[in-house]
Amino acid sequence: MSSVIAAFWNPIVAKEYRSRMRTWRSPLAMMVYVLLIAGLGYAMFSSMARANNAFSGSVPNYGQTLFKYLVVFQMVLITLITPALTAGAISSERERQTIDLLFVTRIPPFSIIWGKLLASMSFVVLLLLLSVPIFSLVFLFGGIELDQVLYSFLVTIVAALALGLIGIAFSTWLRRTLAATVASYMGAFLLVFGTVAFGIIFPTQIDPKSTSPPAPPAVTYLSPIVPLVAIADNGQPLVNYLIRYDYPNGFLAIQNRGTVCKPLGNGGMVCSSSSGAVGPVVTATGTAIPSGPFVKWQYWQATVVLQLAIGLFALLVSAFLLPPVRRLPWRRQRPAVVSE
Amino acid sequence: MITAENLTKVYGKRTALDNVSFEVPEGEIFGFVGPNGAGKTTTLRIFAALLEPTAGRASIDGADVTKQPQQIHSRIGYMPDFFGVYDQLTVGEYLDFYGACYRQPKPRRVKIVKDLLDLVGLSERRDQQVDTLSRGLKQRLCLARALVHDPVVLLLDEPASGLDPRARVEMREILKELRRMGKTIVISSHILPELTELCTMIGIIDHGRMRATGPVHEVIRQLSADRRVRITVVGDQERAVAILKPLAAVRHLDTANGAIEATFEGDDSTAAEILHALTAEGVRVSAFSQVDGGLEEAFMRATSEDVE
Repeated sequence: MSSVIAAFWNPIVAKEYRSRMRTWRSPLAMMVYVLLIAGLGYAMFSSMARANNAFSGSVPNYGQTLFKYLVVFQMVLITLITPALTAGAISSERERQTIDLLFVTRIPPFSIIWGKLLASMSFVVLLLLLSVPIFSLVFLFGGIELDQVLYSFLVTIVAALALGLIGIAFSTWLRRTLAATVASYMGAFLLVFGTVAFGIIFPTQIDPKSTSPPAPPAVTYLSPIVPLVAIADNGQPLVNYLIRYDYPNGFLAIQNRGTVCKPLGNGGMVCSSSSGAVGPVVTATGTAIPSGPFVKWQYWQATVVLQLAIGLFALLVSAFLLPPVRRLPWRRQRPAVVSE
Repeated sequence: MITAENLTKVYGKRTALDNVSFEVPEGEIFGFVGPNGAGKTTTLRIFAALLEPTAGRASIDGADVTKQPQQIHSRIGYMPDFFGVYDQLTVGEYLDFYGACYRQPKPRRVKIVKDLLDLVGLSERRDQQVDTLSRGLKQRLCLARALVHDPVVLLLDEPASGLDPRARVEMREILKELRRMGKTIVISSHILPELTELCTMIGIIDHGRMRATGPVHEVIRQLSADRRVRITVVGDQERAVAILKPLAAVRHLDTANGAIEATFEGDDSTAAEILHALTAEGVRVSAFSQVDGGLEEAFMRATSEDVE
């Protein structure tokens, strides 16, 4: 067996697969997952179809809207599922008093984490695969390209990976499954929803003097929702939510020849002063981040990189906390004393 | 084979182990005796490389527990005092899983699992779910698990705790079989009679300190400063008691079942003097025999010193 396969197939993965798929919970979770996604898709479609009958003139982009709601909803479901899959990974072994039995084997502690991660991520991937048939229906309506689907799934998987690693880190650190579960959900909600909520509460203030288009606050790139919306809309995400212009002193500013700016639908901005003169129009196009620390990056690229960084940090924390006897590298290099 | 040199383990302010040293040669069965909380589990966990000693050194077969944990893990089979099993796995799969964790190749694992199930008598339960096993059977399964990589040393922490007498006897038979297979075994317990029969060596630990260590009979002798003789006399027992009472060496006298039990301080010559004192006064002694206090008593004596 090659070392690559050995790395991916450690005994823990096999054991986790066995015990996970033998419970009634897994097929139930899979069924509920598919039903929820299919249900939302159907509800969206029927409501759009009904609305469209009333105004038969315009033909909205069915496929695009449907796709946007489905990928975001899928991300929400993954956010709800992943912590439950990993928050018990290490702590349940501690609670069941099986972890010492693993520590005394030749499986290094890192492989325990790796095995647990691989097993839970496989389940997430399985869920994503289950949703593929539903997503393929979206293609019937058109308006969505294959690369949009692939990028969306990439963002979702990487986010699931980060959430899974956060769950494992809490599971290693907190020792009690209940505490680890609560902490993992808090972490997951903070990462996925909290960052967006933060962006909505503290949006980017449009600077009238700026010559570059405004970008959403960088912290919102942490949330996979932002790139998913950007990919589906094929444009700037959540304009008017993450980018806003608050009239500095209310209408006083306008009365006193202040400048008023407003974001454009494509992520740009237009400013005008109360004297009637129209200021510069700066527009942002496409799904690239127009300014800020990740300027010119695609939203999904920024999110994937940030999520991977968070995941890597969580992985390192777990790997540091898990071993029963912490052997720091500089201590390991001490020459071994030959004993009699 | 197994060496502990001045092992010390401090948890915060509590000293769990205080300069514990002992040595177990190859092929011996070392009984590790002490009351609950004496430091047995701490010592075994240090030897299993699951705990780092605060000071001192521990090694198994030349491998240092803090510096070469990988070598330690391939040499030892460890059975903790408390352990759990996974749900949704059968007995066969459970052993196979640990076999894989010890990097045994698949074809070998099939044979190992079969042999081990035969050894611990679980062959018919191969396809039963592990979490449905009784405590005694789980204990046996855990012992089998500790053997999947054919270790040279077995560290068994209270393998008989919580077992009914029958299961305990069965466990003892398995351990005897392992001794025949040439394993060096360290077994901790607070149940003494089973250790006297099984062990070749013994260590008595209390409050983190090793009270005595060595071959079983030596430890008993070492600890029995007070010895006992049972004296049966023909005729006037009271007179014999009256003669014995003033003797300096005699500590305590008991009359039960028509015999006198005298506890005295000293060695064999003291015993001879006691006998002589009786016969010199014309007491007709029909039986005079030394009573072996046994491990239980030695243990109680060794561990009661610090209790006050």
